[in-house]
Amino acid sequence: MILENISASLQKGKATEVKDFVQEALNQKIAPQTILNEGLIKGMTIIGGKFKRNEVFVPEVLVAARAMNAGLTILRPILVASGTHAIGKALVCTVQGDLHDIGKNLVKMMIEGQGIECTDLGVDCSPEKIVESVILYEPDIVCLSALLTTTMMKQKLVIDELKKANVMKNIRVIIGGAPVTQDFADGIGADGYAPDAASAADLAVKLIMEKRNLMKNVK
Amino acid sequence: MLNKLSDYRSDYKEIFKKDKKMYDDALHKKVGNITFMALIPEDLELYNELDLTAYNYENDIEAYTDKLLSLYENVLEKRKNVFDQRIPIISPVLGIGDYSAFVTGDIIFKPDTSWSTPCLENITDYKNFPPIGTSKWYKLFLKISESLMIKMKDKGIPYMRGFFSPLDLAHALRGGKIYYDFYDHPEELHELLDYCADATISFAKDIYALAEKHLGNTEYGCWYTKNKINMSEDIACMISGDLYNEFCAPHTQKVIDYFGVGYMHCHSRAMYLVKEICKLNNVVHLWLATDPNQPRPIEHIKELVESANGASLAIDCEKFSEIEDNIELLKKGNFNIAMPVKNIEEAIYYSNKFNELIKKH
Repeated sequence: MILENISASLQKGKATEVKDFVQEALNQKIAPQTILNEGLIKGMTIIGGKFKRNEVFVPEVLVAARAMNAGLTILRPILVASGTHAIGKALVCTVQGDLHDIGKNLVKMMIEGQGIECTDLGVDCSPEKIVESVILYEPDIVCLSALLTTTMMKQKLVIDELKKANVMKNIRVIIGGAPVTQDFADGIGADGYAPDAASAADLAVKLIMEKRNLMKNVK
Repeated sequence: MLNKLSDYRSDYKEIFKKDKKMYDDALHKKVGNITFMALIPEDLELYNELDLTAYNYENDIEAYTDKLLSLYENVLEKRKNVFDQRIPIISPVLGIGDYSAFVTGDIIFKPDTSWSTPCLENITDYKNFPPIGTSKWYKLFLKISESLMIKMKDKGIPYMRGFFSPLDLAHALRGGKIYYDFYDHPEELHELLDYCADATISFAKDIYALAEKHLGNTEYGCWYTKNKINMSEDIACMISGDLYNEFCAPHTQKVIDYFGVGYMHCHSRAMYLVKEICKLNNVVHLWLATDPNQPRPIEHIKELVESANGASLAIDCEKFSEIEDNIELLKKGNFNIAMPVKNIEEAIYYSNKFNELIKKH
């Protein structure tokens, strides 16, 4: 019941309630990982699904994500202490010349909502900055956002620079943004394209799992 | 050298008549008007060739407006044998930064667009803004517009200017935080939107007064400024219809009511908003831009006719057969259909074909 309360409050964006319910669940000796998966991530997954179906919109996703983060402030230290790791790491950014951030922010929140650690490089990111950050943070996934037809071409430049830096084999690149299509993603050598933030999070999880399996097989 | 409207459109009286009929009918919920615009590659050349970073706008107004008018002239000249229903207009092109910098703040120019940076850390900070009408870009935009209008004088070509809706303006000033404001600060958000409505009214009123002064004596120079307001509802496409009705509609309506009728704009990703926007009083037109990866309005004519409440809808299509196949449905509403073509020859061909099609129906 308490896990359902966490999920329900998260979906309503009630940050304080989520925090209180998470504490209550811990008091009830429910495992932190269970609280994370069955309460917070479950709630965020439901919101993601509703977002895909146009049943909720940007404000509702943002307040839900904020509520999730409120719950995580209680849960994260306990998860870290118990040796629980994020399922993977992602870098998100908007490419050079583009100052739009809402799509990028939504992707970050949705990805975090799936238990992936996320580093946000912000907007107007040069290919060089992205390459440096990939080397520094060693992410599994790189998410590139562009809202304009003029700036979407920068997504290709980033992939070209990542190839030159010889880091593509360690990462998977997902692109998105209003003018971007699957054909465009295929054409520029991206590993994936997502039409919305919730789909980007699903794809990130899928690609991380595929990467993990590939690594296992290689070993 | 800019010529007279009649030199670019020998049929200008006819297209104005058709346009006027469409909007008059839309106002009275009468339907059956369909017009066509061929979008030639040259229409976009202007935006590619105008380097917005090339000017210090405080000192280079004349150089900027000369360049802009020469680019418009070039497009108008190329289009002169295209007898579609596109009304030639001239408008300042400064990217989108000036759409909010007229309130306060500065503009970051890039070659093909511009930005203004959010400046409302707290939602009530606008109370500390300089009085409306005193900012650098408010004054500069009026000077740029006036320079354009003086050069357009006696030509009869309409001057046009679009505006952000109160929500779009509030978003430009506040940034992404505004999405939280719907839930965290609902009362303050209403106050901010009301401020944005007043700011837009003041700005539009001053621009229109200049248009009246310089273009008022020409037959159509003030066509787009008399009793009309063009506003975008881009940010509304990120919120639900319920939030739109609660927060945005009253303030957008306030601006429309001040001027008379509303010409609006939103995106196909938010097809559900068509109904909400078109039920505002005196909305006669909605440009519903097609987004990539989103439903195409031309494939939803039946629903759109119902949602539009008589307002004319500007939509686009990819192939002429989409117009032919939907002609009976299109006649049940008011539509302005744009179609990209490869060159002038195609523009002429399809414009003539459309005019024949309409004659038959």
